[in-house]
Amino acid sequence: MTVFTDKIEQLAASIYGHIGGSYPYFTAVIRYLLPLLALIVIIRCAKSLLREKFEPEEWGILTMAGGIKYTLYHWENTIGRAKSSDVCINYPTVSRSHGALIRDSGGSWTVYDLNSKTGIRVNGEDVVGSREISSGDIVSVGGADMVFLPLDKTGERTQAEQRTKPGRVIKPGVTLFLLTLFQVFLGLQCCIAGRDALDGRIPLGFIALTALMWFAYIFTRIMRRSAFEIETLAFMLSTVGMAVTATSVPSDMFKQVLFMIAGLVLYFALGWFLRDLNRAKKMRWPIAAAGLVLLGINLVLSEAVFGAKNWLSIGGFSFQPSEFVKICFIFAGAATLDRLFAKRNLILFIGFAGCCVMALVLMSDFGTAIIFFVTYLVISFIRSGSIATVFLSVGGAVFAGMLAISMRPYIAARFSTWRHAWDFVNESGYQQTRTMSAAASGGFFGVGACEGWLHNVVAANTDMVFGVVCEELGLILALILIASIILMAVYVVKYAEAARSSFYTIAACAAAALFIFQLTLNVLGCVDILPFTGVTFPFVSKGGSSLIACWGLLAFIKACDTRQNASFTVKMPKKVKYTGDLDDTADLYRDYEDDTDSDVQPDFTDTDWRWNDE
Amino acid sequence: MNKIRKRAVSVLLLVALLIVGMGFYMFELFRDGSDWASFSANQGVYDNGSLSTGTITDRNGVVLSAPGEGGRVYNDDPAVRRAVLHAVGDRWGNIGTGALYVFSSKLIGYDIVQGTYSVDGSGKTLELAIDADLNVAALNAMNGCKGTVAVADCETGEIICMVSSPTYDPDNEPENFDSEEYDGAFLNRFLSASLTPGSTFKLITMAAAIENIPDLFDRSFTCEGTYSVGSDVVTCTGVHGSIDAEEALAVSCNCAFAQIALELGSETLCEYAERYGFTESFEIDGVKTVAGHFEAAPEGSVDLAWSGIGQFTDLVNPAAMLRFVSAIANGGKAPELTMLKNSKTAKTERIIDADTAARLSEMMNYAVYRTYGTDNFPGITMYAKSGTAEVAGEQPHAWFTGYGVYGDRTLSFVVVLENGGYGSVMAGSVANTVLQKAFGLS
Repeated sequence: MTVFTDKIEQLAASIYGHIGGSYPYFTAVIRYLLPLLALIVIIRCAKSLLREKFEPEEWGILTMAGGIKYTLYHWENTIGRAKSSDVCINYPTVSRSHGALIRDSGGSWTVYDLNSKTGIRVNGEDVVGSREISSGDIVSVGGADMVFLPLDKTGERTQAEQRTKPGRVIKPGVTLFLLTLFQVFLGLQCCIAGRDALDGRIPLGFIALTALMWFAYIFTRIMRRSAFEIETLAFMLSTVGMAVTATSVPSDMFKQVLFMIAGLVLYFALGWFLRDLNRAKKMRWPIAAAGLVLLGINLVLSEAVFGAKNWLSIGGFSFQPSEFVKICFIFAGAATLDRLFAKRNLILFIGFAGCCVMALVLMSDFGTAIIFFVTYLVISFIRSGSIATVFLSVGGAVFAGMLAISMRPYIAARFSTWRHAWDFVNESGYQQTRTMSAAASGGFFGVGACEGWLHNVVAANTDMVFGVVCEELGLILALILIASIILMAVYVVKYAEAARSSFYTIAACAAAALFIFQLTLNVLGCVDILPFTGVTFPFVSKGGSSLIACWGLLAFIKACDTRQNASFTVKMPKKVKYTGDLDDTADLYRDYEDDTDSDVQPDFTDTDWRWNDE
Repeated sequence: MNKIRKRAVSVLLLVALLIVGMGFYMFELFRDGSDWASFSANQGVYDNGSLSTGTITDRNGVVLSAPGEGGRVYNDDPAVRRAVLHAVGDRWGNIGTGALYVFSSKLIGYDIVQGTYSVDGSGKTLELAIDADLNVAALNAMNGCKGTVAVADCETGEIICMVSSPTYDPDNEPENFDSEEYDGAFLNRFLSASLTPGSTFKLITMAAAIENIPDLFDRSFTCEGTYSVGSDVVTCTGVHGSIDAEEALAVSCNCAFAQIALELGSETLCEYAERYGFTESFEIDGVKTVAGHFEAAPEGSVDLAWSGIGQFTDLVNPAAMLRFVSAIANGGKAPELTMLKNSKTAKTERIIDADTAARLSEMMNYAVYRTYGTDNFPGITMYAKSGTAEVAGEQPHAWFTGYGVYGDRTLSFVVVLENGGYGSVMAGSVANTVLQKAFGLS
């Protein structure tokens, strides 16, 4: 290992030797090149995510005698008279929300009666609560008789083969190549500017990051998945995070790489876990309980860092439990459609959310508490559709907040600085004023990576990382990073239309909302537009717990992608040679297989490779 | 799922919040970015509170202050350092009107696109309008007296000489800033002081008289050495006998001006002091000058008589006086003064009626001929007015202001020597020394 680092060090020294005196001009070019590359990367990702052809999945049909046909586009479908119903039957005998037709991840369908007036009958028998149905069953809703025909295994395969796979127009490999260029230039700049700390860590850190990224890409290609936009964006954000580490604590470069590996492991593990909806549903409450226990332990054995007691140290290894509880929180909040119609479907979740927020407030981690609260609002609104619940929650929170302020006056003191940071430049406005000064100094293109000074200020590489990025890499790049997260949120909302289960939609929306709001608090807090709360910039802020948890949350976002072969979190029907022989029942009844053990070896030299070319 | 899809849009509300917030940040950055970057804690451009980037030169390219290895360095010559100190500013921002402080964002080279970045990190070069040699000559001529000397080019508005005393060497800072010797050393008296103007104020009273007393030039005033106002008297510098208005200004007859002031009334005098910019602050490159003072004394009182002679509670800022005499030189239009090198014709603002300005010009030229001595200003066509401002219990302030013409150049000047004695003798010779040098005659 030391031989290797020595080699790298020699290499970096020789690069510096070559660039040497013309280094200022090197930086002068790099600072324009980096935002340009980042811009091309994000535009390619945006085009690929938002502009490619949108094709819904069809999971079955309900046909009426008159030839009227209802297509089931989701795994979870509501039946009713209301226009917003997925199967809208405009009969006076049908209730507004009459029933639901739900498929589980194993492929079996269940019909639910949602306390309708006239009830649901299957093959002439009244449904009490719910009943499993199969192909050919006659479902009667308020007097309308419909034949239920779900998509069979063969149909699923045909559908999978016919749907467009992403990555053909905008090739992810090319985007990734551009991102690699970005990493090389940024890494070179960091190596040369940070040459005083030259011990091979900075170059090695960047090389490891690029290697990890290509490994993750090849891994998804082996799984026959061709979409890599979300991961590309996250890697771009993480690359800038790596530059922030290089400028602030170059000795932590290896640590940061280890955190990246841990984050990726969590990402793939959680993504794999989410594949099986039945499993995910079953594990919801155990995971939520684990989150509460973690917070409880944190509360008892806490260690105060910068005023907030949100650190836990076990065996010399410190981490922030609240970051991981975010994942548990989203598990607790996500729910399938059948749960949403259950009476008081929110009560348990409200209780859980209340406990989490209370625990965070007791730890004085108000920033994270507000993030949890806003995530709770989004989840409860999507689950209930009730504005009243939202208002009630906000009202309650405001009341609780006032109570907290009256009991702990130092919280109010924080607010007195808000919008007046320049009146307290050496007191409570210290960090904000330095952030603004450094951010303005950077202009649109920055003064060059590892050439700034803001990183010397306490917590600059976490809470004020926006300022560090603006100073060293410029406003344009900082805006591109923000746009990357916004793009993830827009994509989540867009793909809600094609979602299979509300579980995935709610989880993805919650994760996106959490990212967006955390980003808002981070960026606007350190420039004195919002109160300074000290939360992290997703993926960019230095810090293990935050980075790992962000990759974990990314799995929820990836799980809502139902484009064909886009997401490893969505199972594919097993690839077969279609013979047209429908009697091949053995094939029909074979269950889904995990795709990773496929023996089909993709050819990586051609980015246009398609798994079903035959 | 349809409903869920619709409700998912709520996430976009948070996105909107973020975008609005970012828009607001960009607006603030656009508006205040320059101030943020010039914040003295910005380690990119400041070193322990001292600006570490940007070069300041005089109008001839002589480097007055530049970034160096161990911090900011000044010109090698101690005489230059002392003479340009108030124009350049000190390292620590004590001199709040110095270029290092006032033009910090220009020196840093801040702009919204490039921030403070420059390839070699040395910032921008700022050319001041002053001529370092001229400043040295002016400071020497002041001979240790407190006060200020300033010279402006009437066409471009450039202030080519600006000295304030007491001054000190920024590379060899005195330890006894509290002592009498360095009292007000951080103040640029040209911009930030207001002093009793004495007889120089008679220019304003005369301008008001030209426009408000129709038969002014047909009149004659009687001076018997004193003039009684009720139970009080206005004393004069001599016994001038029967004199006309032109002669009254030339010999600076207090008795004549007491009568004029009483006839004009306090309201008219106030109006003219205000119209000519003596009672309000104005800006030179964004630096606010100190406002002067003119108080409306009761009609018919001796205070009113004295206020028209530049005594009573009258206070005038030297920069305002320079602007006024520049306007007289420009036929009534005041050029916009600037501390930065500027090769263009300055923007002007008419503050004096053209006929009045022409009349004042003639009278100032006559005053030089009659009283100050044309021979004392060899080669220069001079237009001037002196002032000897009595201050209680001390030597009077010596003022000398006006403009000189040589060839096609017109330079306006103001010289104030605090407690410097008799105006035209003391301050007049300083003005001559500086103008001779400025016109290249010596």
